[in-house]
Amino acid sequence: MIPIDNFLVLSSILFAIGMYGVLARRSALLILMSVELMLQAVSINFVAFAVYLSPEVFTGLVFAIFVIVIAAAEVGLALAIVLRLYRNRQTANVDEADALKW
Amino acid sequence: MGMEQAWLIPALPAAAFVVITLVGKYLPRKGDWVAIGAIAASFVLFFFVLADLLDVVDEPGFTGGEKSWEWVSFGDFEIRLGFFTDQITIVMLAVVSFVALMVQIYSVGYMRGDPRYGWYFAVMSLFVAAMLTLVLADNLLLLYAAWEGVGFCSFLLIGFWWEKRAAAEAAKKAFITTRIGDVGLLIGILMLWREAGTFDISEIFEFAEAGGYGATYLTVAVLFLFAGAVGKSGQFPLHVWLPDAMEGPTPVSALIHAATMVVAGVYLVARMLPLFELADPIALNVVTGLGLTTVLISATMGLAATDIKRVIAYSTLNSLGLMMVALGSHSVTAAMLYLFVHAFFKALLFLGAGSVIHATEKQELDELGGLASRMPLTTVTFAVGTLAMIGIVPLAGFWAKDEILHFTEVGQNAGVYGLMLLSVFITSLFMTRLFIRTFLFKSRDPESRKHAHDAEPAMTVPLLILAVLAAISGFVVFSGVGEAMGFPGGFGEFVFLEHAEEFEFNWDIVVLSTVLGAGGMMVGYVFWANDAVPATRMGELFRPVYNVLYNRFYIDHVYQFVIDRVVLTGSSIVSWFDRNIVNDTGVDGSAALALLAGWQLKFTSTGKLPNYALAISSGVIILALVFLIVKA
Repeated sequence: MIPIDNFLVLSSILFAIGMYGVLARRSALLILMSVELMLQAVSINFVAFAVYLSPEVFTGLVFAIFVIVIAAAEVGLALAIVLRLYRNRQTANVDEADALKW
Repeated sequence: MGMEQAWLIPALPAAAFVVITLVGKYLPRKGDWVAIGAIAASFVLFFFVLADLLDVVDEPGFTGGEKSWEWVSFGDFEIRLGFFTDQITIVMLAVVSFVALMVQIYSVGYMRGDPRYGWYFAVMSLFVAAMLTLVLADNLLLLYAAWEGVGFCSFLLIGFWWEKRAAAEAAKKAFITTRIGDVGLLIGILMLWREAGTFDISEIFEFAEAGGYGATYLTVAVLFLFAGAVGKSGQFPLHVWLPDAMEGPTPVSALIHAATMVVAGVYLVARMLPLFELADPIALNVVTGLGLTTVLISATMGLAATDIKRVIAYSTLNSLGLMMVALGSHSVTAAMLYLFVHAFFKALLFLGAGSVIHATEKQELDELGGLASRMPLTTVTFAVGTLAMIGIVPLAGFWAKDEILHFTEVGQNAGVYGLMLLSVFITSLFMTRLFIRTFLFKSRDPESRKHAHDAEPAMTVPLLILAVLAAISGFVVFSGVGEAMGFPGGFGEFVFLEHAEEFEFNWDIVVLSTVLGAGGMMVGYVFWANDAVPATRMGELFRPVYNVLYNRFYIDHVYQFVIDRVVLTGSSIVSWFDRNIVNDTGVDGSAALALLAGWQLKFTSTGKLPNYALAISSGVIILALVFLIVKA
């Protein structure tokens, strides 16, 4: 059996890449993709722990499924917002969308 | 019907109050008959209660009839609402319900045409309800509530003609002055409750007799209780409100400030006397001392007062002081007897004064005089009241006053007894002055005398009934009279603290007090007959003394000075602190701080998504690091 460390390292790398993407990118689409990476990193953690700690119940696996479902819904919503943003401003650069402040 | 239903007695006037307040203006005669009917029904009920009490009063171990309900209960803590009837209660019930009935009937004539006629009867009913509750209360909490109730009604009725500035101020003065005493009463009640864990009066007595209170603790507690009595019963040094309270309608003075509410303090001390007995002797010495001071200063102030109602108010203070001295001499019997007969003759005096004011619209003694021929009925009844107050044989005041003198002689030292005798003389002097200056000799204002005449029957009938009672009610001291009415015996065998006592003639006192009373009348006649030349000359000869008396021993001035200088200075400091420190610095300051912080912080929100993302991630990382360090 593959040791759990491998999974955890994988998910950490994935999460760090996703976080870097969220922080460093300015394109709304790329930020969304990075968020997906972070979510999947969490899912990997869930599944790995579920298998190693309590293989007889499906709690962790169910959580992973939930994350995927909610991520799909969230992407649908977020893409719609991005689309409206692009229609209004002719750009998907989040730096340009700074109207919501004092 | 009986003691179990005693709660109906206050409930009826309370219902009358509600009815008149809500629908009074749609009723014929603005609902005055509701008030009179309710109090008449209460008076009838009183006889049922009395009959029930007389049935059982002889049974050994009888302490009183009781009926109570749960009032408040949370957890193990419970307050019961109850009514209690014993001999002292019965005397008070008789006085309150009867005098209230007389005064209400009288008021129909006196208050006719007043713009707030209905409201007057409503408040009077509320007062009677509160007073009867006070009398019947079996626990100190209910008693306190009723105590404040009568104080509030007194406030409303003194200020009944509040358009007049003096009336509004008198109402305020009465309320605030009695409140000072009431705070003491509340502290006393809470002290008794704190140790005993109950408000019930009989249970507190049992607790005290079992030695539950420390001697000093109990003494302090009963002195606080007595503070309430000092305020309500106008004892020195809180007597200043009672003369001013005469701004109210005269029937109000007769009911509240003569016969009932002001004796609530006496009733309280009489009721709680077992506790005073258990406490250090200093407690009863304080009662005696303040009572005696009140007796002496009120009698002397009465000599110089010029307003007919104020003179009677001073005589009320005088009587209240006498009752306190009686209680200080361990005698519930003498105090309650005096309370009983005093209610009749003092209400009579006030209602008589009311008739005079009603007829002449004058109340300064300098503008009255010579009314005897114009108002014979008022004059005769007023004379009976005056003689009863002076204590001339065989009128009611005589028996009660001698009883008090007797107990003073037995229970107090010679100095107290001597001062009491002196007060008999001065009282006789100023009551004689009042009578002569009002009714005899030449009128000093013939214009108002010309159309003066006796009032209508609604006002004269109560006068006559009260005059008869003022004349004969003293005979209840005799065993024969008491037994004939179904009581176990004379007054002393019915109302007592420890053991019944038959009335006995004490010839020394009888002779002494009669000589002093009659002497006072003669001196008074010489002084104030015709144009009162000797009195005027005396006043000029002893100008400083006269000034001191006329200015009421400058006690009001001292209070005014203290209020102006000390209280108002203190309150201006407090108000400065409140305005500048609490409000401007504390309240406004914290609001301004939040505003400033918000103003500064809002510029950190740039609206740019990456900034927020960075803040969130670094926040999470910092939290994670902190968690690791703390865990390690």
